[in-house]
Amino acid sequence: MAEIKKLVLGRKIVEDLDEDQELPSELMTVNMGPSHPAMHGTVRIVLTVDGERVVESDVQPGFLHRCFEKESEYATYTQIFPYTDRLNYISPMINNVGYAMAVEKLLGLTDAVPVRAQYIRVIVSEISRITDHLTCVGASAMELGAFTPFLYFLKAREWLFELLEELSGARLTYSYVRIGGVVSDLTPDFHERLIDLLDKIDGVMLEVEALLNNNRIFRDRMEGVGPFSAEDAIAFGLSGPVLRACGVDYDVRKDNPYLVYDRLEFDVPVGSAGDCLDRYLVRLEEMRQSSKMLRQCMRDIPAGPVIVDDPRVAMPPKKEAYNTIEAMIRHFKHIVDGIRVPPGEAYTWVEGGNGELGFFIVSDGTGRPWKCYCRSPSLINTQSVSKTIQGHLISDIVPIFGMINMIGGECDK
Amino acid sequence: MAGAVLEALRARFGGAILETTSAYGDDVAVVKRESLHEVAAFLRDDPAMAMSYPCYCTCVDYLGMELLTISPTTPLAVPAIPSSLPEEAPRYAMVYELRSIKHRHRIRIKVPLTEGDLKVQTLSDLWPAFNWLERETFDMYGVAFEGHPDLRRIFMYDEFIGHPLRKDYPKERRQPLVRREFSDE
Amino acid sequence: MSEQPQASPQTVTLTIDGRQVTVPKGTSVIEAAKQVGIEVSAFCYHPGLTVVAVCRQCLVKIDGQPKLQPSCQAVCADGMVVHTADDWSRGARPQMLEFTLVNHPIDCPICDKAGECTLQQLYFEHDNAASRMDVPKVRKPKVVDLGPHIVLDAERCILCTRCIRVCDEVAGQHQLEMKNRGDHEEIATAPGAELDNAYSINTVDVCPVGALTSKDFRFTMRAWELMTTPSICTGCATGCNIEIHHKNERVWRLVPRFNAEVNRHWMCDEGRFTYHKLRTRRMVAPAIDGLPARWDEAIGHAARLMAAAIQKSPAGVGVVFSPQHTNEDNYALVRLAREMWGVTRFYVGGKGPVPERADKILRDADINPNRRGVKAVVGDATIAGAQVLGEDLSQGEISALLVLGHDLELGPEPMERAAMLEALVVIADSEEGIAARARVALPSAAWAEVAGTMTNRQGLVQRLHQAFAPPGQALPAWEIITRLGQASGAALGYGHVRQVFEEMVGKVGELSGQAARWGRETRPIQLRFANSRG
Repeated sequence: MAEIKKLVLGRKIVEDLDEDQELPSELMTVNMGPSHPAMHGTVRIVLTVDGERVVESDVQPGFLHRCFEKESEYATYTQIFPYTDRLNYISPMINNVGYAMAVEKLLGLTDAVPVRAQYIRVIVSEISRITDHLTCVGASAMELGAFTPFLYFLKAREWLFELLEELSGARLTYSYVRIGGVVSDLTPDFHERLIDLLDKIDGVMLEVEALLNNNRIFRDRMEGVGPFSAEDAIAFGLSGPVLRACGVDYDVRKDNPYLVYDRLEFDVPVGSAGDCLDRYLVRLEEMRQSSKMLRQCMRDIPAGPVIVDDPRVAMPPKKEAYNTIEAMIRHFKHIVDGIRVPPGEAYTWVEGGNGELGFFIVSDGTGRPWKCYCRSPSLINTQSVSKTIQGHLISDIVPIFGMINMIGGECDK
Repeated sequence: MAGAVLEALRARFGGAILETTSAYGDDVAVVKRESLHEVAAFLRDDPAMAMSYPCYCTCVDYLGMELLTISPTTPLAVPAIPSSLPEEAPRYAMVYELRSIKHRHRIRIKVPLTEGDLKVQTLSDLWPAFNWLERETFDMYGVAFEGHPDLRRIFMYDEFIGHPLRKDYPKERRQPLVRREFSDE
Repeated sequence: MSEQPQASPQTVTLTIDGRQVTVPKGTSVIEAAKQVGIEVSAFCYHPGLTVVAVCRQCLVKIDGQPKLQPSCQAVCADGMVVHTADDWSRGARPQMLEFTLVNHPIDCPICDKAGECTLQQLYFEHDNAASRMDVPKVRKPKVVDLGPHIVLDAERCILCTRCIRVCDEVAGQHQLEMKNRGDHEEIATAPGAELDNAYSINTVDVCPVGALTSKDFRFTMRAWELMTTPSICTGCATGCNIEIHHKNERVWRLVPRFNAEVNRHWMCDEGRFTYHKLRTRRMVAPAIDGLPARWDEAIGHAARLMAAAIQKSPAGVGVVFSPQHTNEDNYALVRLAREMWGVTRFYVGGKGPVPERADKILRDADINPNRRGVKAVVGDATIAGAQVLGEDLSQGEISALLVLGHDLELGPEPMERAAMLEALVVIADSEEGIAARARVALPSAAWAEVAGTMTNRQGLVQRLHQAFAPPGQALPAWEIITRLGQASGAALGYGHVRQVFEEMVGKVGELSGQAARWGRETRPIQLRFANSRG
């Protein structure tokens, strides 16, 4: 009985209760989701509650499963880019980059990607990271009742989407990266526009922080809610802001630098308690660090080609393809046969918006992968939700789930 | 650092490690199914290994795989790989990747499994992260994890028939619409 | 080397890229290289045609020779040392490709051969250099009607002369020739003449580019979207091995498959067109007296009619076998008729012979694929044909007929008699012929939709594979016969066509020892995974 009391009553001290005054109660099963405003994407949580307290929960993902892996087995390597866009659809560039790097590893082209292309990949990755965190924080704040930060942040996100739309042609599903580089160079006024936007976003962030950071309601609902210890976090395979909020200093960009991250100066914010407030603060600080990185990149980016020079990997420029038979043949073979990747298996991982995003690709030597597995941070982070919400109130699920930032597309693949 | 983990494994487990390779900077150890749990526990608990971080686990189905090696006239880098898998090669391989946050090394473990005997011991008691990942592998490939606390499908609905990521499951197959009967109990 | 292999006088031993290989005398270097797994690039070389060495794409370095040698023409000699991957040979390939591409039009988007084009494949594998052309390309006529089946695009032609050799050596008629000189050379027929031999579409198969296209297939489907299933041509008794190229349950073309004993690399034009019948006048639902019925009703009705006829006079019941159907279908029928029903009046149907067709090349006068198989399965080489059936019908000796197949050449009067029989049950895939007059018509699957075997004129048992499911409610004929048997109380017990085959091979004398002919099951493979054709 004491066990159940401790479980059910959570943070309240057991001795405070008066046994004689206990009302009879029974556990109730409540369904939360999959169509629920607070269940980002579509996730169903079957809660067993005692009053408002969660006794047990069964988190059921899979409502957005779109067979990414199965489809990848039938598509050429370049055709998989749109599928990767739709994994973490709030930070699609990072998915593109991670996948391209995995294929390049099998091709042996990791070092042959031109430096300008690497800088561009870092730039778009960091912009995507900012959009991811803007969405996460904004949406979570809205679910706690703070509608204004949501609108402010989404306005900021819109500016970035416009910028990337000029660059790649799409607001959300860019397919901008290619094996060996990126599809096209930055637009001529990209630099000025990006710096301008970063200044404006810095301003927006100051506004939102002023609204939220010391807000009594926000602090009460986020502070101390859903704490997670560092050992547990590591054993659960958490990564990204969720892991760093627990105090574990692990960031792929620092521990296993890829592209040009080793040339950039940035700090990795690390929390201590692992509760929702720490996760929120880590995300805010990461946005600032991304902004810092972006300024450095735009300062340091060299001129040069944006795709590797190998005709077996890079599509020919359209002008040549329409005017010479050689380039036309190359174009055809790329589309029909795909890029022939030597047989092998490799795993590459990058720092996604939610954590370690990895691609494990098994190649059989043809232009289509034998297997393309995505190690999705959202799926693994969401696994910890069940443990985190145990003992909390139903209304605590909202900030906990929001701060996990489960993106349905990435979780369910 | 590159081969140290593999050497330690070979030294400690000898015959249970069927093969070790190191390609593309990844260390891979092919481990016998029966020794998997022991090897994994060693990797987690041994202070020199300290693989505390579970990265992912998945399964690869090699049915009908024919490796198409690029001809010698093409100068893309090609590591030596046999041109086709022998007939008796096991059809499946479980793939686990573990990492050490402290020592910054990692290892990929592959466990070959044959078609009629598709089961392996669960690692979810060592790392809770493998709970859902093994459920995902079970859902997609049908690998049974012995000792798993809650082995049920995770992405597919319960009435789904078959395991979709297997190579003999055609992409276009349709499943019957599910209609659940609700009783008024 | 540690030990010299015993060189018998009929073989020579040479070294290719460091690997020793022993080949029969007279083998060319390119064929010897294939034996050690080295594919030397070539355009004009074809294993089924004579060697001309005009394209120079297969140049390799042979020690002791001052210049690179065309490996298709160089004959292997003892102790020869060949290098195919050294710098000189590897450098020659892109040079030859560059020459070949100098005047090649930028037609890939509209060219039929894209996706299975040897020029595309070799360029991508061996060259990939940018174009150095800065002058206009030579223009030639682009839509030249060479004959009833072939269209020539002269600009795409790379002058390999494979088509000329096909007409000379396979069809035995010299109908194509090169006209003009230098880079203005074009393929042409003699003035006023046409490319109309019976094997003309083989030139489309061997053409490494899209210069020759078949009017039947051009602009209908992209090659890389097709799925391929191996099968046997059912145009005549030769039984050429083919590949069915299909997509979305529809056949788009038939191409020959190599078989050293039957058809080597070729097939005739008529055989290529047999797929058109798969979509014309197909029977898709069972019918009783012309009205659609359910399967169980139709089977039941047919069984009742036959049972009544057998009871009244077993000697008057006749069964017509079909040389257009597989061995398994005919075997199931002979078991049902002979063992279960006790019928002995057997006939064989099919189309009549066409003597003008018979040439010594591939085409046979018998345009039914499985006559020999029917005779073996029924166990009677002198089984009566359509003419005797017609006479018997006219004389009123027949009271009931179970006919397999719709091809039955009866005159108008016997056909009327047949239509007036009490029991005329026809199992066929088409509504034509006798199927139109049947009391009960049962739809069967056609040759591309069944797995089974057929015996060709040489006595070879060849396997057909199923490309896609039969249309509508059609079923394989052996399954229909099994159901018919079940409905009349005779359990044949066949659940899978392989069962029929294995029983047949065990029981039919002429087919014993053919168990291995069933081969392995295949699944349709998309052409883009297969090697480029040509």
